[in-house]
Amino acid sequence: MRSLPVPVGLGESYRHAETLLLVVTYSRAARTTLRNVCRTHEPTVIRGLGRAALFEETELGAFLALRLRAKHGDDVQIERTRPFNEFAAVRDEVRTAAEAYEDREKPSTPYAKFAASTDYPDPGAMRDVDL
Amino acid sequence: MRVIVGSRTHKGRAIALADVSAGAVVRAIREGGVDADEGSKPLVRIDCPSPGTVHDHVARLPPPTFDRRAALAAAARELGHTSSAWSELDAARADLAELSPPSVDVDAARRRVAEAGATEERLRERVAELRGRLRARREMGADTTAVEAQLDEAVTELSEAETERIAAEQALDRAESLAREARDRRERRLTLEDRVANLEREVRHDLATAVWDRFREALRAVPGTATAGATPGTYDGDPETAALAVARLAPLDAPVVVDGVDGFDGAAAAASTLSAPVIYIG
Repeated sequence: MRSLPVPVGLGESYRHAETLLLVVTYSRAARTTLRNVCRTHEPTVIRGLGRAALFEETELGAFLALRLRAKHGDDVQIERTRPFNEFAAVRDEVRTAAEAYEDREKPSTPYAKFAASTDYPDPGAMRDVDL
Repeated sequence: MRVIVGSRTHKGRAIALADVSAGAVVRAIREGGVDADEGSKPLVRIDCPSPGTVHDHVARLPPPTFDRRAALAAAARELGHTSSAWSELDAARADLAELSPPSVDVDAARRRVAEAGATEERLRERVAELRGRLRARREMGADTTAVEAQLDEAVTELSEAETERIAAEQALDRAESLAREARDRRERRLTLEDRVANLEREVRHDLATAVWDRFREALRAVPGTATAGATPGTYDGDPETAALAVARLAPLDAPVVVDGVDGFDGAAAAASTLSAPVIYIG
């Protein structure tokens, strides 16, 4: 089978993006179980973040997440995440605005004021645009 | 205290018993001092003051398990010590008790979306397949009435399935947003749980500090080898010795049951060293 050429710089959005399972706990008991899971299933756990963790998106990852939910019910939130590619998902203006704002002269200037006299997008406008 | 075993009555602050189990005596003390050792040969009956909170830790020496920090905290409270974190702890516990986060049942909504999606997918394939078949039959000049009827039916079903999928997705969105609110409450509860745990630690620490010098003195007076440094937590020894020291420093009204502690020579010696009423199993 012939593979299609992938445009440079857009590889991420063409390739099947690797997704992860995000598990967040909402009680001390659930948090303790999550920590134990993170300790004992290292290869499946991409990263432990205290009361949250990223699991590999495999059946075993799903099994571990569902086991936590079976034990702790609503105190366990399971989400699917995928890598963020700002070059594919975000328009230039937003990226350059972020860089320019972090480079501002006076640290006390709020972004809204910083953007007001420039071409940078204002916070209200950005809020209304989904990625 | 008065202890009746079978037909014999014992009185005093230090009583030695021979053919009863320590467990039966502890039970008799705990259950109002009038309980019997049901099923076993001699009937045990004990009249004594009801046990306090320290008693939970040192009812039987050596204790089967021993939580030194909790026992010291209980002893300190019995001695009238308190902690500045106490009222905060009470308040945090009350807040925690009031906080009951609503259930965040999104399962049913997720299942509905998954099922609606699968149905829609299946019907979409069916419609495509029927369209293909219809085209083929037209090209062949064959009769298309039956296929057309099937296609019409499938298209109608597909349209219904789409409607259902959209409704299911909207319902899931609503459920998710309720779940998010509920999670805010859970978040708050977790913060409170952590706060309660921290305050409990603080209270235990304060209470242990308040009696630490007495604990160190008591360690020197009881059998066993253990040492403790100047600050709480710096204890080096076995749980048994720590339990004996706690029993000695705490004011105990109900008797403790001594069964198999090396270094006590009889009931009277144990009662004197522990500064407590003693039932000695020998």
